[in-house]
Amino acid sequence: MGFFELAILEAALLGALSGIVGTIVVLRRRAFFTVALTHATFPGGVIAALLGLNILLGAAVFSIVLVGIMLVISRVDRQGSQVASGVVLTFGFALGALLQSLNRDMSVQVDTFLIGNILTVSPGDIAVTAGVLVLAVLCVLFAGKQLLFSSFDPQGYRLAGFRPVAIDLVVLGLIAATVVVSMPAVGSILAIALIAGPAVSARLIMRRIEWMIPLAVLFGLVSGVGGLWVSRVFSVAAGGGIALTACAIVMLAVAYDRVRQYRAERSANGGREA
Amino acid sequence: MTEISTDSAAIDLRHASFSYGGAPQLSDVTARIERGEAVALVGPNGSGKSTLLKGILGLVDVVDGEITVLGGSPREALRRVGYLAQLSEVDREFPISLRQVVTMGRYRSLGPFGWPGRRERELVDAAITRVGLAPHAHRRFGELSGGQQQRALLARALTVEPEILLLDEPFNGLDRANRSALLDTLNSLRAEGVTIVTSTHDLELAREVCTRAMLLNRTLIAFGSVEETLKLPLVERTFEGTVAHVDGHNIIPVPPEHG
Amino acid sequence: MWTATILSPSHPSTDSPVDLGFFFDPFSVPFMARALTTVLVLAVASGIVGVFINLRNLEFISDGLVHAVFPGLVVGFVASGTDGLLPGALVAGVLAALLLTVASRRGVGSDAAIAVVLAGSFSIGIVIVSRETNYVSQLEQLLFGGVLTVTPSQLTQIIIVGVVAVVLVVITWRRQLFLALDPVGSRAAGYRSLPTEIVLNCAIALLVVAGSQALGNLLVLALLVVPVAIARLLVRRLMLLAPLAIISAALAGWLGLVTSFHASISYGITASPGSLIVIILITLYAVALLGHLLVERIRTARRAVPHTCFEHTGQHPVLDLDQDVSARRRWSARFRRAV
Repeated sequence: MGFFELAILEAALLGALSGIVGTIVVLRRRAFFTVALTHATFPGGVIAALLGLNILLGAAVFSIVLVGIMLVISRVDRQGSQVASGVVLTFGFALGALLQSLNRDMSVQVDTFLIGNILTVSPGDIAVTAGVLVLAVLCVLFAGKQLLFSSFDPQGYRLAGFRPVAIDLVVLGLIAATVVVSMPAVGSILAIALIAGPAVSARLIMRRIEWMIPLAVLFGLVSGVGGLWVSRVFSVAAGGGIALTACAIVMLAVAYDRVRQYRAERSANGGREA
Repeated sequence: MTEISTDSAAIDLRHASFSYGGAPQLSDVTARIERGEAVALVGPNGSGKSTLLKGILGLVDVVDGEITVLGGSPREALRRVGYLAQLSEVDREFPISLRQVVTMGRYRSLGPFGWPGRRERELVDAAITRVGLAPHAHRRFGELSGGQQQRALLARALTVEPEILLLDEPFNGLDRANRSALLDTLNSLRAEGVTIVTSTHDLELAREVCTRAMLLNRTLIAFGSVEETLKLPLVERTFEGTVAHVDGHNIIPVPPEHG
Repeated sequence: MWTATILSPSHPSTDSPVDLGFFFDPFSVPFMARALTTVLVLAVASGIVGVFINLRNLEFISDGLVHAVFPGLVVGFVASGTDGLLPGALVAGVLAALLLTVASRRGVGSDAAIAVVLAGSFSIGIVIVSRETNYVSQLEQLLFGGVLTVTPSQLTQIIIVGVVAVVLVVITWRRQLFLALDPVGSRAAGYRSLPTEIVLNCAIALLVVAGSQALGNLLVLALLVVPVAIARLLVRRLMLLAPLAIISAALAGWLGLVTSFHASISYGITASPGSLIVIILITLYAVALLGHLLVERIRTARRAVPHTCFEHTGQHPVLDLDQDVSARRRWSARFRRAV
């Protein structure tokens, strides 16, 4: 397979994964947490590159550390989850930038971590992405009920005798894994576009939860593969092309939603007049 | 497995004190609630009504004394207890239908990997019909009125086929129609022998649904039949002089923050 | 023996010019003096604006603004180099403030909406900059800034933009505080929340614009979020939040500059001063957090014997949004009279 075929495969796998995990992120309102985590994996990548390790491994280890720190801070009174995300996000970025500035002669350049380069992904990266995708599908199949219940009504979930901690850990793990495998391809800053975009679009269009994930996966695929094509045609950064395609789909979905609302209002008014 | 005898009380409190950590929210409560009884918890805000309900659910620690629910510990009894929370923090914009919300009540008994089967569907349909929402079963939850959402959550609590039903201020903010629908449901449940414990500000409702009343203000003030307990001196003592209107036998306490 | 070991390290401190010189001498160099002035200006401005970010939980929106200013920086830079940074960033910042105000008012889906705006605008910047030749070094410059290369005219711009941001918040501070502490009460008293929100978001955007040139686009967020978070760990009194936040940000800025100066002069290590400042700021946060957790632990141990249930209610207006409902009500009542 040529590098472009590999890139298309990675884009498709990431798109599908982002559609699934993004739906969970959007329904559980974990967007800021995800953004913080995407930014915070940057130093992990830099450290791994300095040590000559796999970048994915560095990002994975560092994201686990940072999730832990965020959980601690968010439980302290007068701090909360927003402060936790803000602190961890800036910490990650500053640490990455500092390490980067200390090692000017590093072989890996900063844009590898920040905006990624899908054209250089290795078959190994693709295998890991596929593995996380399978994991995400299994989670939705086997823990779908719990995910649904705990997202909709956290209090009721606890009162029904479930342990919210368990499902939270599953969700955090899924988000972290997705963020980490996105990094080589779309970079730590733009991953959120692919995660949030398709899910937001699907939510705007579909009023039923059963259809949200399939539609989000479809939008994720279109964003990934279409964005790659856009980047090739207009010779712009691939990560940027993918992120912009995802955002363009959101805009179309917003427009669709507006038109539908307008029609519904007009037919309601018309009905009243008749 | 603990041996649970059917002739034990529904809820038995012996000098029980409850605390979220720190000073007890509610202390020294001794009461025995028999099966099939309907009990109203009456008291001002912060008097410990919600704390007692959560104590029965095993969500608040018993720091002193003892509590048994259906002959065992609250945790053991949890699956046989239904609960309707006061201000549920449910996400009202969630893309989910009423029926899906009610089905959640069955998740616990399905185990981690099971999916709802025929028995589940029948139970869910029965619960929806019981609260009178059958025509709305497939509407989006967020489109329902506040009162209908409240009834849907009651239906969810009913799908566990509870032996005890706990309700926290179920009548707050309900209009006439929803209020009478809820009253009908509660009365029919009582007729089937379900034990009902409900907190309320509304003494009139306490009289309509309940056989006994428990007056609370950080400790137990009185517990007995509705006729004995909901009398002016006791209620006045419970609300510490914030009772505003007295007319014949209707004593309507005014919650402090509105007074 | 003991006296010797204790005295010998303290000996240099009697020779105070040398000791303090370590901390002050770097700033006799003009570019270092400008860097320090820049950092102090940003510390004061973000300390004041940051209080409202914290009280209203606007951390995510601030992050959105940070990313949304980026395409403005890129367009300005591509169009006319360093001079284009400010105008480009200003236009993008104000547009983003309006867009994000609308997005955040959507209620439930708002955080996802912010994420999309954030990622979309940032990727526009990336796409434009990636068409430039040698874009990696330009990207780095825009993202991580260069506090040491601030020119006198840039410093003037930063001061002006920072002052405007502070003035926006100061002239509306009663409304801002009222909205932050008691949104329902504020609306009931007849204040429309939309203008108040737009003013605050514009002030944050201006501060991001001012800080982007010095600290770099992504590190500005640290100044907006972390100093006030430190202050909230240390005190409950509302009026102390801004001063404490300013002090911690200024301290971190000063120490960061001194460290990077000496590291570069004495050891030849090129540490990005912007990221050093942020790392020191977050170290201060970590110390404050650990101290806070320790104090809380001791306090709960003492509280084992309960005596009263309203122990936080003091004589002074105390602010603890999470616990002290009565203080909140008192503040709210004050506003109803005062505004």
